[in-house]
Amino acid sequence: MKETTVQTDVLVIGGGMAGCFAAVKAREAGRDVVLVDKGYVSKSGETPYAGDTAVFNPAWGHDLDAWLTQVRTVGEYLNDARWTEIVFRDSYERFLDLRAFGVEFLEEDGEPVRLDHPLTQIELPDRDKFPPLVSQVVHWLPGWPAKLRKAVVKSGAKIIDRFVVTELLMEDGRVVGAAGFDVEGNATRVLRAGAVVMSAGGGGFKAVGYPTHELTADGHVMAYRAGCEVTGKEFLSPHHTNPEEPGWPPIYPVFASGHSAAFPGAWHDPEMVNAEGDPVPVRGMAWHGWIDAEWEAHEGRAPVLAAGPPDGKVRPLSGPGGHGSMLGHAAGGIVPVDDTCATHVPGLYAAGDSCGTCFVGAAYSGFGFATMHAAVTGARAGLGAAEYARSADRAAPDARGEAEALERALAPLRRRGGFTPRWTTQVLQNALAPYFVLYIKKEERLRAALTTVEFLRDHVVPKLYARDDHELRLAHETANMVANAEMKLRASLLRTESRGTHYREDFPRRDDPDWLAWVRLKDEGGVMTPFTEPIPEESRPDPALPYAQRYPMRLPGEEAR
Amino acid sequence: MAIELIDPELCSGCAACVDSCPMDVIRMDPDQAVAVIRYGEDCMMCELCIVDCPEDAITVTPFAVSPAVRSWG
Repeated sequence: MKETTVQTDVLVIGGGMAGCFAAVKAREAGRDVVLVDKGYVSKSGETPYAGDTAVFNPAWGHDLDAWLTQVRTVGEYLNDARWTEIVFRDSYERFLDLRAFGVEFLEEDGEPVRLDHPLTQIELPDRDKFPPLVSQVVHWLPGWPAKLRKAVVKSGAKIIDRFVVTELLMEDGRVVGAAGFDVEGNATRVLRAGAVVMSAGGGGFKAVGYPTHELTADGHVMAYRAGCEVTGKEFLSPHHTNPEEPGWPPIYPVFASGHSAAFPGAWHDPEMVNAEGDPVPVRGMAWHGWIDAEWEAHEGRAPVLAAGPPDGKVRPLSGPGGHGSMLGHAAGGIVPVDDTCATHVPGLYAAGDSCGTCFVGAAYSGFGFATMHAAVTGARAGLGAAEYARSADRAAPDARGEAEALERALAPLRRRGGFTPRWTTQVLQNALAPYFVLYIKKEERLRAALTTVEFLRDHVVPKLYARDDHELRLAHETANMVANAEMKLRASLLRTESRGTHYREDFPRRDDPDWLAWVRLKDEGGVMTPFTEPIPEESRPDPALPYAQRYPMRLPGEEAR
Repeated sequence: MAIELIDPELCSGCAACVDSCPMDVIRMDPDQAVAVIRYGEDCMMCELCIVDCPEDAITVTPFAVSPAVRSWG
């Protein structure tokens, strides 16, 4: 297999919204840029599924305090308020960038149409008891991912599609590049860089049998192994998946044809009904997007049926052991240490769902917030990395270290037997995806899952083998998913309370005195170590506020609205 | 199978679907110069290939999931 070495100022890993912005901004700062993606830049990860993006603009009548209150209330005070404000304040400039890239928006009289939060369009008799949802989105017209890619090409950044990065290269405690291989043919490359932006998405778990696209946590895990701290792993982004027709609704074709959930009248409240024919109580922010279906299953009232968008047909939304989840959307990831998205490891920057700014907190309140966050952190990380690459001394290439990294990249292909990535992934999905592990949590169940994950980590992952070029990618993704599982379980074990999308059956209430804090994870001498960091004093909720106002989302067992 | 067919009669060999597929399900057949389903079990039914195929040559159904793998090795 052919081996090549690429030299650049800024290497960007992952070509979704965040990576494309990072590449363009680093080029604008005058640096050479290489942008790699294991899929195809602009169409990888979750980017193609976005129908809208949120934009905060005071000239459109937006009130900063009201937007911040929405995030604080739904995110249950674990949003990093400083980052929430940065993302909002930068978002209009990024919107102008997108327009300059040629992305077309739904407009009237030359102004983009602002659409209200879809959940405010549902009629509710007790609306005032739900969290205030004031954010608005703008809607882009079909074909926008191609415009994003065109902007990268026009900027002069070099694109390498269908290339899997397996690890970051280190030199004297700094990140100096990355190593990996082509998806097709497995030719290896060393990518030497002055600075690296990690924008390779997030990671969650779906039930056994579901494909793992966008759930492999490659970016989080590679950065963690390089010495970064990771945060927010105990939280979820519960995007349900239909267990009988997992391809329904076909989200991308729906959005690509110009649909928006924020169009007036487009959003239906799913109106879940349990097996006894009773309506399922709404505990979240005015819809069933939280742990409602899982709680019904736990109480023995599955299947839960829902008449969902886009066609209103009644389908089983979930069943015991069969629900799906997406990722901790914009909730967790690599901890940034400053406003340029620099991380604890010099030379490495994080952006998009890879970047753990905690800007939404313990639950996701936005529509269009993830793309807004990706654009903002992408631009900041691109500029930060460009400046680092310009000013820092370059390390001399470590030929031996590079060769060893490439050996590790190809190791599963060299093994003649062992464990297949597909089998291992399914064992992992079986251990993590049942509702009673990551949704309705309890210490002994978390520990049981962790025992399985530790065995996979120590005994199976070192023996993963690949029978062809396609499986080599799967082998590395499987190893990353095992590491991500350990992160989610350890973070969930440490947080001995319930908050947002984190629900502990053995600690079923919020615990403000002890848990207005973030959980971080870091590697200490080869041991994954969780620890807490209190939120800033000014971010704490007013203790004088009555509990039901402080926390309008209801946990199981708390009184209905 | 989630992705069921890339019609060889309709496929023009442009490889747009190979680029679209996030899961490396589709590869080009070097002999026939058409796109073929190589790793159908990894199809995630996102239909990106359908959106990008200029010839409407691809059929994906929403019903199937990846088969359970019973053998560990």
